[in-house]
Amino acid sequence: MGAFANPFNADKLLWSGCPCGQHRSMLEHQMAMAGAKAGRFTCEAVEDRDLAPNPEPRFVDRPRAPACGDASCVDPDCSGEPPRRAPGAAEREQARLDAWLDDEPEGGDTEETIARCVESAVVKGMFGTDMNRRAFLRAVGATTAAAAIAEIFPLGAAKALAQEMKGKLEKTKLNVGFVPITCATPIIMAKPMGFYKKYGLDVSVIKTAGWAVSRDKSLSGEYDAAHMLTPMPLAITAGAGSVAKPWTMPAVENINGQAIVLAKKHKDKNDPRMWKGFKFAVPFQYSMHNFLLRYYVAEHGLDPDKDIQIRVLPPPEMVANLRADNVDGYLSPDPFNQRAVYDGVGFIHILTKDIWDKHPCCAFAASQAFIDANPNTFLALWRSILDATNFASIKSNRKEISKAIAPKNYLNQPVTVIEQVLTGRFADGLGKVRNVPDRIDFDPFPWHSMAVWILTQMKRWGYLKGDVNYKKLAEEVYLATDAQKLMAEMKLDGPYGKPPKTTYAKYSIMGRTFDPANPDAYVDGFKIKRT
Amino acid sequence: MTDDKTQEVQIKIEGLSKAFPAQGDAGAMVVFDEIWCSVLKGEFVCLIGHSGCGKTTLLNILAGLDQATSGAVIVGGEEVTGPSLHRAVVFQSHALMPWMTTMGNIAFAVKSRWPQWSKAEVQAQCQKFIDLVRLEGAEGKKPSQLSGGMKQRVGIARALSIEPRILLLDEPFSALDALTRGSLQDELLSICNNTHQTVFMITHDIDEAILLSDKIILMTNGPQARICEIVENSLPRARTRGDMHRHRNYYPLRNHLIEFLVNRSEGFDAELADPGYDPRRPPVVRPVAEEDRDGTADKPVAVSAAAGRR
Amino acid sequence: MRASIRLRALVVSVLLFGLFAGAWHLSTLSGADTSANMDPEYAALIGATAKGASAMPGPLTVAAEIWKHVSNPFYDKGPNDKGVGIQLGYSILRVLSGFLLAMIVAVPLGFLIGMSEIMSKALDPFIQIMKPISPLAWMPLALYTLKDSTVSSVFVIFICSIWPMLVNTTFGVASVRREWIDVARTLEVGRLRTALAVILPAAAPTILTGMRISIGIAWLVIVAAEMLVGGTGIGYFVWNEWNNLSITNVIAAIFFIGLIGMVLDLVLAYLGKLVTYAE
Repeated sequence: MGAFANPFNADKLLWSGCPCGQHRSMLEHQMAMAGAKAGRFTCEAVEDRDLAPNPEPRFVDRPRAPACGDASCVDPDCSGEPPRRAPGAAEREQARLDAWLDDEPEGGDTEETIARCVESAVVKGMFGTDMNRRAFLRAVGATTAAAAIAEIFPLGAAKALAQEMKGKLEKTKLNVGFVPITCATPIIMAKPMGFYKKYGLDVSVIKTAGWAVSRDKSLSGEYDAAHMLTPMPLAITAGAGSVAKPWTMPAVENINGQAIVLAKKHKDKNDPRMWKGFKFAVPFQYSMHNFLLRYYVAEHGLDPDKDIQIRVLPPPEMVANLRADNVDGYLSPDPFNQRAVYDGVGFIHILTKDIWDKHPCCAFAASQAFIDANPNTFLALWRSILDATNFASIKSNRKEISKAIAPKNYLNQPVTVIEQVLTGRFADGLGKVRNVPDRIDFDPFPWHSMAVWILTQMKRWGYLKGDVNYKKLAEEVYLATDAQKLMAEMKLDGPYGKPPKTTYAKYSIMGRTFDPANPDAYVDGFKIKRT
Repeated sequence: MTDDKTQEVQIKIEGLSKAFPAQGDAGAMVVFDEIWCSVLKGEFVCLIGHSGCGKTTLLNILAGLDQATSGAVIVGGEEVTGPSLHRAVVFQSHALMPWMTTMGNIAFAVKSRWPQWSKAEVQAQCQKFIDLVRLEGAEGKKPSQLSGGMKQRVGIARALSIEPRILLLDEPFSALDALTRGSLQDELLSICNNTHQTVFMITHDIDEAILLSDKIILMTNGPQARICEIVENSLPRARTRGDMHRHRNYYPLRNHLIEFLVNRSEGFDAELADPGYDPRRPPVVRPVAEEDRDGTADKPVAVSAAAGRR
Repeated sequence: MRASIRLRALVVSVLLFGLFAGAWHLSTLSGADTSANMDPEYAALIGATAKGASAMPGPLTVAAEIWKHVSNPFYDKGPNDKGVGIQLGYSILRVLSGFLLAMIVAVPLGFLIGMSEIMSKALDPFIQIMKPISPLAWMPLALYTLKDSTVSSVFVIFICSIWPMLVNTTFGVASVRREWIDVARTLEVGRLRTALAVILPAAAPTILTGMRISIGIAWLVIVAAEMLVGGTGIGYFVWNEWNNLSITNVIAAIFFIGLIGMVLDLVLAYLGKLVTYAE
């Protein structure tokens, strides 16, 4: 029953607002049942679902409040004793209410549902109460009734309009910011390779000068969505380092894809234990790069705040600074690791894949406000990103993608550098050619456990102070549950196309296990930390 | 012109004094005080005194550019409170606006006086006075293209073009060379003869004063300068630079003035302290040659040199 | 003769440039090519500088790059890749907007301060504190409050180029020769007409000197601002090429920046000459 039932069926309750069909709403029904003190009539619970022909509302005059004091007393001659009720009447009443509330069409597709909704709405507006509707239908028959209504109200057009409104995009022209690194591959490639267009969007991908600008332009609304680092949506929602604004991460841009690079002169210092006093660079404080570097050196016994220096530098400046001897090494996003090799200033010490395989790196992020204001547009955008990410996860596509994203208006790098990063066949800076096909990979799923890990590291190094509600923040920001649904619906064909059944997983990072169910214990378990 | 004693007084200076308040260690400085004198309409008056006696300050007060500490200046029956188009000033350095041409500078003045005039009327007025100071051909030139004498002529033309009742000149020719000075003096004399302009001029140059003025005011030294004496020009009105020295009164007049400037300056304090001296009515003298010294002179005591003045 | 002096100066300039270019070329000649000892596939994967070429491009390379930009200055391949003419155009537009805004505020304010001792003393502390603040420090604040990046860049140009104009206008107005003002007074000229007909032309050369300094600063600032904020503009162009570690293009961009800066300065110098007067 309810809104999805056939409104031209005289024998079924439609919406009525109340089980007896005489009132517009439950409130009115309950008021009547309670027997308003000044009310002149009350309602008698209807005994049977299938109504007898021509039911007449029965009005019972009640000039005074029931003597028994029970508002639901239906005894016209109440003498003050507890109300006499028909046996099982209360239960039947409740059952009817439940059935009415729970009633939904069996299966049926959206179009049918929408059509029914429209009809119900029109009919409800015309008749006011279910009682009237049923009376009318019995009087003229369903067919005549439908025809008559259609004369006065353009039901057909209304239904068509409703169908259209269902998936309508609120806006099609969007600005998506990206920082020119290979992590943003899905966001970037979606433009020249037509993924945005496929879902009806006209997206301008705008090169951004750095993470701070990406954050500021996202906060100001200049970007509808943007490429960010995976910790950033969490930081923005928690208010760390900026105004607190609810942010979301619907998809991870890439997993793996970074490396620790050292200056050529350090080729004999390939062991982190020899790095005391070294200066390193990372692209941003709230970044996986920072956290991975710290984790890595900490596991080797060095305190990242005391034994080495970590400073924030924009990636291209990292290469220049390496050449100028201002930094000894860096953990940066590609292609700047490969670029150091290409320009002969450094060598790759370790790929981050070898620190934590399948670690998340960059994010596709959007504000909660954008999602709320443009739900359909957001869905289309999300679909295009998932589709592009899926395409990128298939290794045979990587060469084509490199060519598409290398030009001036995207990454502006020599094609071979991008290719080396994306295909995983690269020069390592020490004379050898290595082959690591998943040097960078693209799995869009925004695991809640990833968020929790990031939060534990933020707590560990003192970026978040006080008690952190890991689960709540992770689930607010990382849209894993919705991603599960969407990915299942899209039926993606890549290696990461099938969404996992859970949103939490355990990780083993350099031999240490991370259990998302016990984040505090994990943080406490580190020897080197700031809390 | 000054022979007619019934002429109206145009400028009356009454008890004018100027003092600067104490600043730091220095006490209050009185530049001059108790200045009383008057200028008749159409009179050409020169003010002579040593540097520092406040001549320029006095002129500025007359012009309305400066305020006296006490006393008043009454022009045409009204007290002077500020500058006026009727008291035109010719400054010591020409004060021409260097970004305007000759015509532009004069037109600026004409437009200020008669703002409702049309362009043609303004131009005509300017041209009239450019011709008067004999600067035809220099209308379109900027001041940097003019010589010192020409610039000063423009200044004079500018002051005259507004047809003021009174002309105030602050050592207008002192910055020029002797030859230019001479020719400009002649021009000014002829202009004033024609226009019967009331003029108050400050000067150092005795010969200039003798040539141009009807009356010469002599001021003592500052601080606390006062009018020492008023000397009437005993030469006839029609005089020229070339022949005035031949007049018999020339040397008495000139000697008197030199005597004042050179010798008497040490003794000013004694002179002023003399009970016969009244600042409200400073002594008026009219130096004439010996043979004219008789009672015909309308002013008491035609005196020459130092006789009886102690 | 003037022509001969100018000709001789030109010859010296050309010689100096030739010397400089020659030294530059020599210093960037490639070292030994080390690729012979490498695995050929490896050699194919790394760039020229890793194989011994100089990291700094020589003058010929730069000249070729400049020519490439100049021969197609107005192409448009999307929001992140436009011709150098378009980039310069955007930057110049921003500079002029900020500069004009600064002028509209600085000149009247300078007049006010120059003519009134009270206002001068009252506003002086604010001016002295704000004057030395670098544009790069204003940028984040502007982005945070004004949000839009173009508006922020224009604001930053405004706040940095206003000071020379303000200081010079104040100075010019305060040092107008006393006697010109006295002339105006004796002619009973009203305050407004005095300000416009006497003080303004008298102070104009000083004011224009201030403007000339300001436009130089504005041009400096826009490059820095655009590097921070991105978008379209010559500063963004520099940053984009820097991102690619293309020193050649960065030098080419520097050349264009210097060229436009010189042109702007020349324009204002010319305007300055128009209002100069000899005293």
